[in-house]
Amino acid sequence: MSYLEYAVKTVPTGWRKILYLNWPLILLIMAVASTGFLMLYSVAGGSFSPWVEPQLKRFVMGLVLMLFVAMVPIWFWRNISVVAYLGTLVLLILVEIMGSVGMGAQRWIDLGFMRLQPSELMKITLVMLLAAYYDWLPLPRTSRPIWVAIPVLIILIPTALVLRQPDLGTSILLLAGGGMVMFMAGVHWAYFAAVIGMGVGLVTAVFQSRGTEWQLLKDYQYRRIDTFLDPASDPLGAGYHITQSKIALGSGGWTGRGFMQGTQSRLNFLPEKHTDFIFTTLAEEFGFVGAFSLLSLYALIVVFCIASALMNRDRFSSLLTLGIAATFFLFFAVNMSMVMGLAPVVGVPLPLVSYGGSAMLVLMVAFGLVQSAHVHRAR
Amino acid sequence: MIRTPLRPLARILKARDTGENPDTIERENIRQRHEEMRDKSRARAEGRLLLMCVMFLGAFIVIGAQMTILANSEAQEPRASAAGARIVAQRADIVDRKGRILATNLETHSLYAQPHHMIDKERVARELAEIFPDLKEERLVKDFTGKRKFIWIKKKLSPEQKQAVHDIGDPGLLFGPREMRLYPNGTIAAHILGGASFGKEDVRAAEVIGVAGVEKYFDDVLRDPANGDKALTLSLDLTVQAAAERVLYGGMRLMNAKGATSVLLDVHTGEVISMVSLPDFDPNDRPRPPTEGNPSDSPLFNRAVQGLYELGSTFKIFTAAQAMDLGLANASTMINTAGPLQWGKFRIRDFRNYGAQLSLTKVIVKSSNIGTARLAQIIGAERQQDFLRDLGFFEPTSVELVEASGAKPLLPPRWSELSTMTVSYGHGLSASPLHLAAGYAAIANGGKRVVPTLLRRSTPQNGPRVMSESAAREARSMLRQVVTDGTASLGEVPGYAVGGKTGTADKPKERGGGYYDDKVIATFASMFPAHDPKYVLIVTLDEPVETSGPEPRRTAGWTAVPVAAEMIGRIAPLLGMRPDVEPGQLAGITLTAH
Repeated sequence: MSYLEYAVKTVPTGWRKILYLNWPLILLIMAVASTGFLMLYSVAGGSFSPWVEPQLKRFVMGLVLMLFVAMVPIWFWRNISVVAYLGTLVLLILVEIMGSVGMGAQRWIDLGFMRLQPSELMKITLVMLLAAYYDWLPLPRTSRPIWVAIPVLIILIPTALVLRQPDLGTSILLLAGGGMVMFMAGVHWAYFAAVIGMGVGLVTAVFQSRGTEWQLLKDYQYRRIDTFLDPASDPLGAGYHITQSKIALGSGGWTGRGFMQGTQSRLNFLPEKHTDFIFTTLAEEFGFVGAFSLLSLYALIVVFCIASALMNRDRFSSLLTLGIAATFFLFFAVNMSMVMGLAPVVGVPLPLVSYGGSAMLVLMVAFGLVQSAHVHRAR
Repeated sequence: MIRTPLRPLARILKARDTGENPDTIERENIRQRHEEMRDKSRARAEGRLLLMCVMFLGAFIVIGAQMTILANSEAQEPRASAAGARIVAQRADIVDRKGRILATNLETHSLYAQPHHMIDKERVARELAEIFPDLKEERLVKDFTGKRKFIWIKKKLSPEQKQAVHDIGDPGLLFGPREMRLYPNGTIAAHILGGASFGKEDVRAAEVIGVAGVEKYFDDVLRDPANGDKALTLSLDLTVQAAAERVLYGGMRLMNAKGATSVLLDVHTGEVISMVSLPDFDPNDRPRPPTEGNPSDSPLFNRAVQGLYELGSTFKIFTAAQAMDLGLANASTMINTAGPLQWGKFRIRDFRNYGAQLSLTKVIVKSSNIGTARLAQIIGAERQQDFLRDLGFFEPTSVELVEASGAKPLLPPRWSELSTMTVSYGHGLSASPLHLAAGYAAIANGGKRVVPTLLRRSTPQNGPRVMSESAAREARSMLRQVVTDGTASLGEVPGYAVGGKTGTADKPKERGGGYYDDKVIATFASMFPAHDPKYVLIVTLDEPVETSGPEPRRTAGWTAVPVAAEMIGRIAPLLGMRPDVEPGQLAGITLTAH
């Protein structure tokens, strides 16, 4: 049921909207972000520079942005979703061209006050467009091949562009996030089964062919895959990050070494300690208790989003909220798995905690959309 | 999809008849359809959502479980053995014959940079350039600001340098432990030890590999962990080597030579007690091979082993010894020395005119080319070749240096009768001083072949006999007379009876076409004590000029001989030899041959 078909009379207007915000969600977001500030403060050796201060500024800016997005009616966001998607796509292509013309790989566009990564922005606009698409598409057509092919294209084009940058982490997030929106929209399960089956088949074929005459990849490519999948086989090379972060987690134990007492991260053993691997610092200093608390906070954010989506009778709003929840979930699940050696290292930051401008602002905008959907839902 | 019409005609007509508003029917229909659709889609969406939640929960549980496992695990450093091919840094020491260290290992640190961890790259580059003057600041800044994430800065650091770098205090500068090869005696025995450098290296260890000399020759043995810490014992004597280098260096300066070499060989065991080649180098900081100029003038060039020279009159004793061994002559046999000896276009002259004939002893003592050449004519090319082959002049020496195998003596391309004659007095055949030492050792030890070695051994070699005991004894007696009343009169050392033969050979021009008039290779091949020699000493000077007299003198008697005498005087006590208290009373030596 689309918002055109129900009366919007009951939707709050003006400043009253503030009362109807999803306040628990905002508090959860602030709690997670505060954990991030604490960790950045510790990693910098007890100093607000170089990381906490800019991160704090960006978070405040993000909060303002979130409230602004939340105040704008959700149907406005639905109407601009096609434009937003195409705009982001143009930015992605622009970056690609600039990258090949200029020197080396460039993933961002300088806006003056910050560097914007179009690939980050794409995470939201992709979910927005898919939600709008399934809102517009008459329900019975959802599983027709032609109408499945269109969203597949919508997902694959930006994924391919991001993969070329090369940014494996973000492209995985785009692919999985988009797939989840399609799944939630009710596309027939056979499509998903087919894709998963093909994926498994391809991987099996690649590995089965190893050492035989019809070997699909070169030997060195297999070795790369080996270290990628099992970094422990090369603890001083490709596996260095993982080994060190596992040590950090192990040394944290149950209750941790205490704030600012982590040795692994503070003694520079850990690379990327303020970005992708910041979770290890938390795990080392606050132990299992701290790490599990952060995991629970994340899970709660997802739960609140799902609850908000369930309350919402508008198809666009609920799909958008669920899509953002799924993307957010993928974010922290992939990062934590990677840090703890469950998954290969693909370069995904810990949402709201890792140092980094684009990801933080984009996530806050995304939660602004969730809030907007929550505020402007039909009651 | 079959749509039910929103305005069913039959019902509307009916409603109109009854006066109802037909729109209500339409509105009701719309509502019904929407509710149907919504219920269906909601049911489906809720099912999907439930599935996703299960997936989320699964991931949550897996992550939580891994967290529990890791929190429970012991923090463990990764073991290096897991890192594929391990770098074996161990390398055995090298010691001299008395166990004194010639080469050992030292723990040092390497310095590398990870620019992405650097805080202030310009400052780091500036301060590094101050600590290491050989590093350029601009170059470092360029390296640090480039894309590379790993840069070697220094392979070896001294403790002071390490502290200085430490004081920069930048997290992007890192140290890696590594062993380096240390030669505590500096330049002493540089050419024998050769040197070492790093093979495979990473930040935690580096492989030390030999690049020259025994370090390379015995590389596998030294690196073999199966040998444990067992040191490699060389035949060298450190004190003798040091004294020999000192004397030879002084002699080289005094005689204005551009190079010099000496070999001291034990005549029974074949052990090389000392081997010097000047100019030399410091194996701790082995210079790069020269890219221009003559490589044989480089400090890296081991003249004693690699240098192939026409060794001149020192060869005459081989001709004399062979003639006596074959029974063609004895010490007093008179030889025709009337000159010059014309052979085709070639003329053989003597330094001075020695008259019509000389006894064989006098031929050697006066060093007559003509007499030796005539003797060689009698011996013949084949027998001469056989004899020189037996003495080892046809093959590279088998001494344990990588450089040795490349030093194959240069033989006449066609061994004509003229070659036979010139070779008999040491021209037309180029061999290394070590070859000569081995040849003289055979005379000195009573006629047995000796193969020079750098490894410590305690038993005589007892090689195959190359000449009779008596021929060797006669030859030794002649060599003694060369010193007492011949060309090597400056070779007398009080207390140590020295026997030997001088050799002065004009240097061939590099581009072919004859010989220089004013450039010679002066050699003194000696053995001591002359009555029962234990050691053979070869001293060779490259382009010596002795200028104390009114005219520059270049002959070996004026250049190589006094250097050798000084050397013997210095090293004989170090070798544990007591001087004879009354010089002149030499047991077993008769001044006249019989």
